[in-house]
Parts: sequence; structure tokens; C-alpha cells
Amino acid sequence: MGLTGLEIYKHLPKTNCKECGAPTCLAFAMALASGKASLDACPYVSEEAKAALDSAAAPPIKLVKLGAGEHQLELGDETELFRHDKRFFHPTGVAVLISDTEDAAAKASAFDELEFDRVGLHYVTDVVAVKCDSGDGAKFKAAVEAVAAKTAKAMILLCEDPALLEGALNAVADRKPLLYAATADNYEKMVELAKAKGCPLAVRGKNLDELAELVEKIVALGYKELVLDSGARDTSKVLADLTQIRRLAVRKRFRPFGYPTIAFATKEDPLEEVVQAGVYLSKYASIVVLKAAKKEQLLPLLTWRQNLFTDPQKPIAVEPKLYAVGEVNENSPVYCTTNFSLTYFIVEGEVENSRIPSYILSVDTGGISVLTAYADNKFTGEIIAKAMKDADLDSKVKHRKIVIPGYVAVLKGALEEASGWEVMVGPREASGIPKFAKENFA
Amino acid sequence: MAVEILKEKYRSKVGEVVLGATKEQGGTRSHTITVGGESALPFLHFEGAIPNRPVIALEIYDMVPEDWHPCLEKYYGDVYADPAAWAKKCVDEYGADLVQVRLRSADPDVKDSSPEDCAATVKKVLEAVGVPLIVIGCGKAEKDNLIYPVVAEAAAGENLLLGVAELENYKAITSACMAHQHNIIAQSPIDINICKQLNILIAEMSTAMAGRIVIDPTIAALGYGIEYTYSIMERARIGALQGDKMLAMPMIGNIGHEVWRTKEANTSTEEAPGWGEQEERAILWEATTAMAYLQAGMDILVMRHPRAAALIRKNIDELMQDNSY
Amino acid sequence: MIIIGERINGMFKDIAKAIRDKDSAVIQDWARKQEQNGARYLDINVGPGAADPVAAMKWLVEVTQEVTDLPLCLDSTKYDAIEAGLKICKRPAMINSVPAEAPKMERVFSMAAEYGAEVICLAMNEEGIPKDAESRVALAMELVATADAFGVPIDSLYIDPLVLPCNVAQDHGPEVLETLRQIKLISDPPPKTVVGLSNVSQGTKNRELINRTFAVMAMANGLDAAIADACDDELMAAVATARILLNMDIYCDSYIDVFKKG
Repeated sequence: MGLTGLEIYKHLPKTNCKECGAPTCLAFAMALASGKASLDACPYVSEEAKAALDSAAAPPIKLVKLGAGEHQLELGDETELFRHDKRFFHPTGVAVLISDTEDAAAKASAFDELEFDRVGLHYVTDVVAVKCDSGDGAKFKAAVEAVAAKTAKAMILLCEDPALLEGALNAVADRKPLLYAATADNYEKMVELAKAKGCPLAVRGKNLDELAELVEKIVALGYKELVLDSGARDTSKVLADLTQIRRLAVRKRFRPFGYPTIAFATKEDPLEEVVQAGVYLSKYASIVVLKAAKKEQLLPLLTWRQNLFTDPQKPIAVEPKLYAVGEVNENSPVYCTTNFSLTYFIVEGEVENSRIPSYILSVDTGGISVLTAYADNKFTGEIIAKAMKDADLDSKVKHRKIVIPGYVAVLKGALEEASGWEVMVGPREASGIPKFAKENFA
Repeated sequence: MAVEILKEKYRSKVGEVVLGATKEQGGTRSHTITVGGESALPFLHFEGAIPNRPVIALEIYDMVPEDWHPCLEKYYGDVYADPAAWAKKCVDEYGADLVQVRLRSADPDVKDSSPEDCAATVKKVLEAVGVPLIVIGCGKAEKDNLIYPVVAEAAAGENLLLGVAELENYKAITSACMAHQHNIIAQSPIDINICKQLNILIAEMSTAMAGRIVIDPTIAALGYGIEYTYSIMERARIGALQGDKMLAMPMIGNIGHEVWRTKEANTSTEEAPGWGEQEERAILWEATTAMAYLQAGMDILVMRHPRAAALIRKNIDELMQDNSY
Repeated sequence: MIIIGERINGMFKDIAKAIRDKDSAVIQDWARKQEQNGARYLDINVGPGAADPVAAMKWLVEVTQEVTDLPLCLDSTKYDAIEAGLKICKRPAMINSVPAEAPKMERVFSMAAEYGAEVICLAMNEEGIPKDAESRVALAMELVATADAFGVPIDSLYIDPLVLPCNVAQDHGPEVLETLRQIKLISDPPPKTVVGLSNVSQGTKNRELINRTFAVMAMANGLDAAIADACDDELMAAVATARILLNMDIYCDSYIDVFKKG
């Protein structure tokens, strides 16, 4: 929402001059709040008031871009506190940390392999963060260059000495890395550098108060491509700070917190680190940085990110195709269902429980459930028969029997006619599948 | 500049449920465990009380599990055949706050054990450990309805958490819990409306039972629809804090059970080299699922792999640290 | 939306008689009945005929509090009576009411600040009730700004846009609804809103139908509370249903019972 009547009123001259046409400044403020008047009607309003009212129209959290080209990441521009209220828009960037004191080239060369395929989706680890632990400009620059040579993904450069940072940045400036971080001690130089190279800039305070203060100072210097870090590192405190930053930005339009955020997992044990990073990813971090870099460590985290950032309004579909559950052969039973992911996964789980290797034909219903699809004419005898043909079921199994969900028993005739197969009516709920399978296929 | 911290003012809080009973209270537990009582969203200590930390139950079967992944054998293999020893190991070696006994052998398609056999197993487990117990049936309603009264009576005074009540089948278990004063798990199929309605129906049978309900929203594992349950739990918890009494109960989830059915937990390293090493992947699949549900307000996490449980215990330790401003 | 039960009011003959006879059973019976049917506050009004309004208010508050934990809404134009009631209320009460008139606002808002009471603020002043929404909202704004200056939290204010009987002032209906919408734009958090629901049907036939229809329409425009007949089952069912349709409560099959039990 925009500014309230009371907030606008604070910026008005409070003279009740009536020149705007409203009887009082209070009434004029309300007219502005409800969009029925324009500020231009007030001849006495200050420039400051105008600026304050203009900025209220901006989105609650600024969209900040990290990186360049095809691996560019969009951060921020969120509007909700809970995904069920609408959705979360920009998935958290997951960054793997590489120190310039380790073999940066070796760790970076494995980085591009941190991509995964599961359930027809491709998950990507998006960001590589290079940290200057050596205190040696040449070493840091070499590490940054080595990493840049191994991966084209977005980068974060962590170095709080602007002089050292500049040396390394010069080598990769066109990649538009995130510069970490401006603090109370170095912010003027950091802002200068970020401005000169057009890079986003992380801002770290000692706490929320100092962070807000620092952001205002940086904005006053004319730079707004910012990413926030409250400085907290204990899991519970980070959770609280990330929650406050998001809430104040979204609910109160608190301008200093209207930027994306970055959080750092700190645990030494990589498994603990993943769990800690998961907390920050769940609760509002725009980027999480962690050292863990093994496939088995990142796959769960990226899966959670994918799940959390789905649109709750939109049904999630699995790829419509023939799935094999277990060691299938030409005698295996065939079930069919829709490609609504939740339906499919429940059916798959129960077919697994039946311990009889089977095929599941997931029919393209645009990702909606059995009954909805049936009502919508997206799950009909003809459509299922076509899916059977497309999946080449004839050559997969010798028998000619297919199981349909009990809720759409009425489709039996139409499907038998369209496919020429014998149609078996399965249980109404997926939980009945093991019993059904035992009675019919064991 | 001083930032004005934004604290939600909630009207209400989650009810507390006490599990187990000590000798003085008519049971034989060494201590009780209280869950629920939150007056803020998960771990936001700065705006309300989180009086009881979420707890971890490890799950055992009343028989040798036929389908558990081989990687679990090194932890439980020696005790699979002895539920009492298994429970003891969960508590003594793996630090479980609670033990959940799943009466799998009672399934008519498995061993069809009698209600009396089930009760005997529960008694043995009660003797072996001092922690409060969760007991759930085999999942076949007809059979479970025969089991509940017998187990409830055998464990009278122990203040079990007994499950599960469902919309289509809640009367027998509710009666059993009423008669012998146990707590009840009310399970709804990823549906907040049914969740609320079931709580009302149980409360209508007995107002005393209303304060003994633990909600099982039916959880999905990471990657298998977790976001549906996550959002339902968030909505239920917000509803509870805003004054919806029929959602103001602690929540439980069978995390181990769901996670260990997934491909990601079970597929070997060789079969899926792109997914990394199997056991660590499975541990993190379980821990990440648990981590997410903690953030949505889960109070009792029923887990399987001891290392996943240990990770989550540590996570809870950290999240329980005060973060007031 | 919550219901402030209107029944303990000396305008009703049984209540007036009970006050005269000090017959607490009648009052307590109405307190219980309204609570059981879903009222969240109870309005307490000694009525125009009370000989000693201060004493009558004290007595009503005392006997009501003996049987209910609901917060009370002290309804009087005599602020001494309200203050007497506030002193003995066991939990923060609501003051009903104050118009946008400087001396009255001063008295009521300082009282509210002292006792931590909520306040029903009437969108009217010495000149009466304005016809259009803009003027009503301007008065609301004045009330809010004044309350704020006295240190009364804005979200403890209930602005009453003032509903008039639909058979004499039909044209006020849409203005009241528009006022309800705009009041939410005054501040963040915004003040709450309340109406005296039965006013809308004063002197008409189909009173209950008009009441509940208007209640639902007003809820759709953001109404937070209504002083109304909590024992009107159809009204309570309509309110419970509107709460579901507005996504204010989570649906379940027994939602009407749940609403009444709170």
C-alpha cells in the first residue's frame, strides 16, 4: 500500500488554506491517500515532502541484478512474508565459498558440476564467492582469475580492503560481481568502486540499527544497487534479522531495508552448514553463502529452494510420460493418472509400496488433479488412449490391461473403445493401491 | 539510527500437550515432555514465548523392517528383531527425546499380529525406556480399531501419544484415548479444512480430548510436495496465533517414514552419480525436510537416521537461543 | 468482524426494570446468552431512565463481570458514568463513544489513555452527521490525529461512520460503505471500524434481514465490529459465513459453531 493519510498529513503545511479545494489539510491528505487528488494541487508543499511521497510508490524491495549475461541473477523484488499469500518470486542465490588460501582453481573446476536433474527439472548452483583470506592482493587476484576461468556463473568478491578488492575486480569487472562488503569503515571507497564498475554492493552493519544508518549514508551518496547483511552470524539471530528486514520492508515500507539480503552459513561441518543455510533460504535470504560443495550436500538445498519458490497458485506438473517403478518387464501392470505432481507422487509412492514393479502412465492434464481434469475434459478416454500410444505401451508390455483411478470409473467404456485395451477400475484413493495390486497382480 | 522492531501482536497461542506420565502421575516414565505453547511463529523469540523446544522422536517397528535401506543396518541392524532393545538404543545411543512404535506387524497383509501381541510389545518398550512413547497403528483402519482399545488399556496411566485418528475413522481411537487418558494424533490428508473439522469432531466427543490433540497434517518429503504441507502448517499456525482454537494444537510429522520412501534417499551412488554419495544425501534429505518443517511450526519430528536426528537436534539448539532485540 | 452484544441496555424494558429492582439474574442471563451465541464484547448501557447513571453503570459492570470474562463496552453520553465503570472493569474495556468535538475528545481520550481503554469514535461533530464519505473520513482523521496526540494507540480506536435508518436516509448507505473503505487508508496500523447495526433497520419491516444483509456488505468493505443482536441466529450465521468467504477464518464444515464458540 502507499502512504497513509496520517503519513501524508505530516508532510503537508497544516495551514488549512483551502487553496487545494479541500476544506482542511487533513481532508486533502485523505484525498491523496485514496488517490482522489494530486499533490500538485497544494501550492505550499515542500520538495522534501514531494520526494517522500514519490518514494512511497516504489516497490517494497528493490530488484538488484547480480552478474551479467546468461548467468545473471535477479535478487529481491519480493512482496510477501508467506508463500501462501501469493508467492516468492526470485529464488535465493546459492553461493559456494572459495578462499584464496585454498586451491581455488581446483574447487572452481568442480563448481559447474553442481547442477542436477531430477523430476524433469534442472537445478543450478548459481554463484561462486571468492574470499580474500590471504590479505595478499596478488594472491586474491590470482584466485579470482582462476575461478573466473573455470566458471561463467555469477560471482561475489569478498574483500573489505577497497585497494585489494579493486585489483581483483579489474580482472572480472565485466562479470558484474557483488562486492562484499561496505562497512562503516570503508563505505565511501566501496561505493566509489561499485559505482565506477557498475557492480552491486553488499552492506554490512554490526546490527540492524547500524545497517539502516549505513544504507542511508550510501543512498545519500547516490548508490542503490545494494544487498544487506545485518552482521549476525548465530542461526537464531540471523533468522530474526532476516525476518525483521523483510517485514519492515514489506509491511512498513521502511526504505533502508528495501533491498535484497545475503546470509552466511558458518558451520564447519558441511552437513550442519547445509541445514543452517536451509534456515536462511526458508526465511528470506536473497543469497546464502556456504562452503559445502559436494553434490549430495547441495542437491537437498537446491531442491528445497525449487519447492519453496514454486507458485502456490499454479499446479506443479511432472513430465507427462511413462514412468517405470522398480524392475519392470513385459508383464508389469500399467496404472494411469494425471501429471499433477502431488497426485503423481502419491500414486508413485503407493505403487512402490505394493512392491510389484509397475508402469505409471502420467497423462498430460496441464498439471491438474484427476477429478478436476475429468470435469474439464482433460482426462478422457481419447486423451488417455493417445497418451498410451505416444508412450508406445503396446511394445512395452505383452498384456493389454490398464488401471484407471476409481474416481473416473465412468471412463472405462470410452477408454476401452478408444484403446482396445481392457480397462481395470482401480481404487478411489491411492492408498488402496497396495491392496488392489496384491489382489490383482501378485 | 534506531530501527523500530516490528512485533506481531497475536491474540492467542498454541495449546500445550504433556506426553508421558511419571510414577507420581500414575505412569512409569522417568520424565514427561511438553510440546506446543508457542505464542509466536517458529523461533521468533523476539515477539513471543517459545516455551517448549521441538522434540525428536526416533521411529521403531515392532518387527524387522523389510524395506529399510541397508545403510541403516549399521545403526539398528543388531536390534531390529527386538523392539525393546531397539527403543533403548534410540534413547541411550542416539539421544531420542521420544520413541515412536509403529505396529507394522499388525497389518493383515504383513503378519496380522493380534492386538494382544501389539500391547505386549508396547509394554516391553515401556519397560525398556523411560521416555514418553508415541504408538501408531499399522495404517489399516479396521485392524487398528481393534488394536487401540487393547493398547490403550495395557498402557493406561502412561499418557501415550496414540495415532492415528482420521476424519473417516476417529471414534474408536478417541474413545480408547478418553477411557485410558492418552493423547491423540489427528491426521488429515494435506487439507487444512479437514484438519480443523477433525479436531472439532474429536473435541465434540470429549472436551477434555480437545486439549490432548496433536495435529498430523500428513507431510510430504522434500521434493515430493513438501511445499503443500509447509504452507498448510504455516497457515494453521498463523490461524492458531490469531485465535483459531481448533487449529491451536502442536503438530507432528513422520519425516523419516516419508523421506526414506524417496528415490533420493534410496538410489545408490553408482546408480545416480550426478546426485553424489547415497548415505550423506539421504541424511541431508531427511534433515532438510525436518529443517523446513521446523520453520513451519512442527513440534514433534519423527525421524529415522540417527545422524539426521543429530543434525536437527543441533539446529533446534541454535534456534532456541533467544533473539530478542 | 466481531459482535458487540447490544442487549444489556436500559432502552429495553426488562433491563430498565432489572436496574430499578437490582435484579442481577436478568442481566446475567443476557450476558451468558450473548456470550454463548458468539458475542465478543458486551455493550453496557444504563438507558435514558436511570435515576443515578453512575451507580447504575457500576452495578451493571459488577453483575455482568460475575458471569463473564468478555470485555465490556461502556455505553453512555455521561462520561462520569463511563469513568466509574472503567475503574472497576477487570479487563481493558471499550468506551462508547466520542464525537469529533474538542472538549469531549479531550475528556475521553485522556480517560482512554489512563485506563488503557479502546474507544468508539463517531464520525460527527457539533454540526451533526455529514452526508458524504469524504466529510465522514475527514472527521475520522481528526479523531485519529487527536487520539494519537493523547497517546491512545490508533488500533484501539473503532471509528463509527454512523449508519442511519434505510427508510429515512437511504442515500447514506453507500456513503457509509465508502467511509469504511477509506478509513483503512488513514494510518498504518489503521483504526478499526464499528457500526450500530440495528440503526440501519430502525422503523422498517424485515429488520433482521436488513441487518444481516448490511452486516455482510459492510464486512466486505472492511468492517471490524458491530454492536448488534448476538442472539439473532441468522445474523450470526451470516457473519460467520462472510468471515469464511472473506478468508478471515479457515473453513471447516462446522464453521458456524466454531465462530459462536470463538
